[in-house]
Amino acid sequence: MKITIQLRGSLTKYFQGEKVRSVEVPDDCTAEEALKTVGIDWTAIRNFGFVAVNSRRVMIYDRLKEGDELKAYPKISGG
Amino acid sequence: MTMLGYQNKVLRVDLTKKGATTEPLRMDWAEKYIGSKGLAIKYLYEELKPGIDPLSPDNKLLLMTGPMTGTPIPCSGKLSISAKSPATGTINDCSIGGHSALQIKYAGYDAIIFDGALKEPGYLLIEDGNVQFKDASELWGKGSHEAEATLAEKYGHDYSILSIGPAGENLVTMACINSDYYRQAGRGGIGAVMGSKKLKAIVIKGTGGVKIPNIVENTKKITEILREDTLQEDNTFIYDYGTTAFLEACSDGGILPSKNFSDATDENWTKYNGDVLLEKRVGKRGCGSCGLGCGNFLKFENATVEGPEYESIAVAGPNAGIDDPEAIVKFNQIADDMGLDTISAGDTINFAMEMTEKGVHDFGIRFGDKVKYLEYLVLMAKREGVGADLALGVKKLTEKYGGEDYALHVKGLEYPQYEPRGSWGMSLAYAVSDRGACHMRAYAPNEEVFAASIPPYTAEGKGEMVYNLGVFNAVKFSLCICDFWATLSYERMAELMTLITGREWTEQEMKEVGARVLNIARAFNQREGFDRKDDTIPKRLVNEALQSGAAAGQKIPQEAFEDMLDQYYAVLGWDKNGMIPDDMICKL
Repeated sequence: MKITIQLRGSLTKYFQGEKVRSVEVPDDCTAEEALKTVGIDWTAIRNFGFVAVNSRRVMIYDRLKEGDELKAYPKISGG
Repeated sequence: MTMLGYQNKVLRVDLTKKGATTEPLRMDWAEKYIGSKGLAIKYLYEELKPGIDPLSPDNKLLLMTGPMTGTPIPCSGKLSISAKSPATGTINDCSIGGHSALQIKYAGYDAIIFDGALKEPGYLLIEDGNVQFKDASELWGKGSHEAEATLAEKYGHDYSILSIGPAGENLVTMACINSDYYRQAGRGGIGAVMGSKKLKAIVIKGTGGVKIPNIVENTKKITEILREDTLQEDNTFIYDYGTTAFLEACSDGGILPSKNFSDATDENWTKYNGDVLLEKRVGKRGCGSCGLGCGNFLKFENATVEGPEYESIAVAGPNAGIDDPEAIVKFNQIADDMGLDTISAGDTINFAMEMTEKGVHDFGIRFGDKVKYLEYLVLMAKREGVGADLALGVKKLTEKYGGEDYALHVKGLEYPQYEPRGSWGMSLAYAVSDRGACHMRAYAPNEEVFAASIPPYTAEGKGEMVYNLGVFNAVKFSLCICDFWATLSYERMAELMTLITGREWTEQEMKEVGARVLNIARAFNQREGFDRKDDTIPKRLVNEALQSGAAAGQKIPQEAFEDMLDQYYAVLGWDKNGMIPDDMICKL
């Protein structure tokens, strides 16, 4: 299925500075699996923050559907 | 005992007698509390009589630096300004950026303690060891910006100036203290304490230095730490975006409050998101000793401000139903000039908007009314018209007019702009914060919202989580280090203390200092009569589920909140009523 992946802040380095890519991922995959298809292993990124689907924060193991917009944030700190 | 980094000198200013004396810093207390937040609270715990009126001459206003202040340690330019709070009756230590902390240290002092009150408006001029009382009758009634500009013109722009606006003069219990025009010691009415002492400003310049051991070698090590730790991308997002970066994350995270916390999304957030605001950026600024430089100067046609920070954007934007970025910037500018805390002032008007819309009491303002929003700020600072009521803040307005269902505060301090129904741990953090609802004591979203695999909508483990966050921040702020050094660790803090003081510090000692600071703050409040009954969650969070956003459907059951409180007290060794046992107090 096709989804878009949007990276925020310093994570854009994994897209060589691009913010958004349209990508093909396995049907019914999790956010974690979708990120792996573009070479992002969140567990190996120290300042990885969280993911949102269609602008709603979800857990990394939640599943995606066709057309979803997956957004990944770096860690945010302070107030 | 001698530790380098300190000046080993306190300046005591008796405002009633117009006299100033110096004395050694209590180094035995510095060993246990280090500086800034922790040491300030220890001094106030020992020196303030229980039950005093915070706006009487009996209260003390304490400016406290830390051992790293004035050294090359990155992000160490913060100053603690502390007193008993007139808003809450609790201890209140505020943290202000800018350059005033460095000037105090270079003038030869670790701390300045103000006691008593002037009979007529005045300001204090400190030039190293020379302390002069000056007449401020020409400045009284002026906005903080004009007062600072006048004093800077008179003495020079290399002097640091701390000042209050009309809100502080009029003893509004949400008045702040300003420095460098746009930096604030914001919360708990610390500006009203300064106003009650008829102290319009403190003007200070120091020409000395700070002794650290092995200066050549240690400065090299500090430079390496700056380059390899502080200036890594985990931290430098704050240079690029400032706290405007939080808008989108909080919106997606389901914790961006809208219309007085009636929901946690706002369809208009893109209109005032960081990307939009930063198109108006005309300059950057950082505090003294800062390596990160979070400050952004934005220029609109009718408003210029350093900021706005996330809190001010959220409170005057979605939480007020206002979507005009220029109005938000103007709100920030007026609040700073009037000397009002943007969080409490904004929340109070937002509360008034909902009270009007729900027909509980007509304050003459509804959500989205950006013109009156700005007018009401000035009226609040001057206590004129409807502003006389609004200056009371949310808690006292509730006591006067009802509307408890719409009142978001703890102990009389209005809620910061992180919606706890999307971050359950934050409801606990607000409840147990030492000065009422404060987001700087334990920043729960960092752990349970801005994280990929931790569930935010549960009480499980949240007591220990908030404790751990609280201990870390308590020691960090006692070292006077800024929150935006996000990669800071206990190990690094111990290393920095060793480099500056010349005595070996350990991670374990750092943790012990943090826990001690939490306890001394609680002990101060306990002595004032605070206990579990005061560690509260607002009714709205228990009774009303969020309607939209990531946390739609969420509310926090009272039993879940009580469970989190039980967990938190247990970790600290407090009893079920949240009281510290006597044997623990004896060791503080």
